[in-house]
Amino acid sequence: MTASLDLAQVSLGVELGPLHLEHPLMDASGTFDLLEYARRYEGDYFADFPYAAYVPKTVTADARTGNPGPRVTETPAGMINAIGLENPGVDAWIAALPAWAHLRQPVIVSVGGNEPGQYAAVVRAIEEYLAGAASGAAPAIEGYELNVSCPNVSGGLQIGADPAATAAVVGACRAETPRFLLAKLTPNVSDVTATARAAVDAGADGISLVNTFKAMVLDHDTLRPFLGNRTGGLCGPAIKPIALRMVAEVAQALPDVPLVGMGGIMSGLDALEFIACGATAVAVGAANFTGLEVPARIVAELRAELALRGLATPSAARGLALRG
Amino acid sequence: MSDTAREEHVHGQQWAETSHCRVADVRHFGAFAALELVAPRVAAKAAPGQFVMVNVPGAGFLLRRPLSLFSVHGDRVGLLLEARGAGSARLARLEVGESVDLAGPLGSAFPHAGVTSALLVGGGIGCAPLQYLADELTAAGSSVTAAFGFRDFRAARAAGAFAIERLWVSSEDGSTGRRGTVLDILAALDVPPGTVVYACGPTPMIAAVQLWALVQGLMGFASLEAHMACGSGSCHGCVVDTARGKLRVCSEGPVFALDEVRP
Repeated sequence: MTASLDLAQVSLGVELGPLHLEHPLMDASGTFDLLEYARRYEGDYFADFPYAAYVPKTVTADARTGNPGPRVTETPAGMINAIGLENPGVDAWIAALPAWAHLRQPVIVSVGGNEPGQYAAVVRAIEEYLAGAASGAAPAIEGYELNVSCPNVSGGLQIGADPAATAAVVGACRAETPRFLLAKLTPNVSDVTATARAAVDAGADGISLVNTFKAMVLDHDTLRPFLGNRTGGLCGPAIKPIALRMVAEVAQALPDVPLVGMGGIMSGLDALEFIACGATAVAVGAANFTGLEVPARIVAELRAELALRGLATPSAARGLALRG
Repeated sequence: MSDTAREEHVHGQQWAETSHCRVADVRHFGAFAALELVAPRVAAKAAPGQFVMVNVPGAGFLLRRPLSLFSVHGDRVGLLLEARGAGSARLARLEVGESVDLAGPLGSAFPHAGVTSALLVGGGIGCAPLQYLADELTAAGSSVTAAFGFRDFRAARAAGAFAIERLWVSSEDGSTGRRGTVLDILAALDVPPGTVVYACGPTPMIAAVQLWALVQGLMGFASLEAHMACGSGSCHGCVVDTARGKLRVCSEGPVFALDEVRP
């Protein structure tokens, strides 16, 4: 057993592809609204922003109103949601960028669509805006996360379940940007390494996994599907063991590809487990719904969990679960 | 305390939310429980119509429960809740001396400055925020009339938690107050012109009150309910249809203009 370190001896910084992150934690797309948090914070939230990178809610080419309600409910050790990628569309999204242009951390834009051209149109619109934007008119958009795995819109999940369709989306977006490109994969496949490999071969710089598990909850009075969308995506602690297994599989199949691991991270120890399974960075999803102070708590816990084990950096823990 | 721990502590203090709020009083009315919690930071900022997210104590509960403010007295915040599922049943079993975490106050409030005559229309557990509103209106010298509707005898037990001078109650089974719905009470009321209507309850009731107010030429406000995950604007789980499109109950609401909701 290695001796413990002092908290100050732990350096949390990681390199995710070309991105330097102050620590390995970011938010999972759609679970954390920067401006809503800033509005409720009594200090300067931009100065105290807890995540090392910000992944906004998925943006699509055209505005989407999302699914009918109910959209969310709690499940044993988790929750199910079917929001349906509600968003204002990329033009309105771009117009709102100046409101949070002073965010210091890198931004990874989550992009959605029904077919490759729609994904590429979002990336193209953002690249065109950034090319002409005055200094200070946009946050530091340093990458994209292609959401080919939303289970709650027609099209999204099917793309992510099919390696060729995934590759087509990645390829179309790769042609539009030199920036860091992540493909966010669905767990609703029999072999996640196949879609991961297809995404990387098509030009993805890294892989995010997992999105939510397609699932169903019934109304106990009517015995009909509870959600307005009938099915939804399951997340939270219930899915963590499956997510860990999938991250480990992709890390073993593609050892040189940067991974962002996620699925039910509620604590610093959960985050450390994903790193041990091969993730370079990790994303916090449903836990954001359980308290406004949660992101800062998980970062502090990760530091303590590393120190306790005598690990001076997240990199020292990376892949520990994969060794013979 | 290390720098990191201090940073985390400072960060934790910057939210308008309060940890470990002690339960100071509990009253039970059938399946309903009226709790009073010592929560000075929430009490200091609260306004009628706003809500708090409440952690359910114990393992096995992930999401916090949204509960509207039933009362605010000094540093105490009152909540009225109905035991429905496992989470609300646990909250209804809270005892004096136990603690829960609150986040809030959250959401929009009932505008009530300068209102001289108010009609409060509630249905079921939706009556809860109207007590706090009645307290504030009465203190400001407004004339307050309340009409509360309940489904049956069990649901009408909640009426015992309220202290409003002019309160009319209906029940659909005739067990408590007038037989019928709250609309039957409204039909029998003589409502002065300029009265502001405040409604909170099930969607069909909101729709009926909206139509009634339109016919009477009265303006007002409605507080809406929706299944919620975060309670803080992030998840878009609680959206409702309005004249301004889909809006979040937790963030743009829960209080909307009565004529803009699309129940």
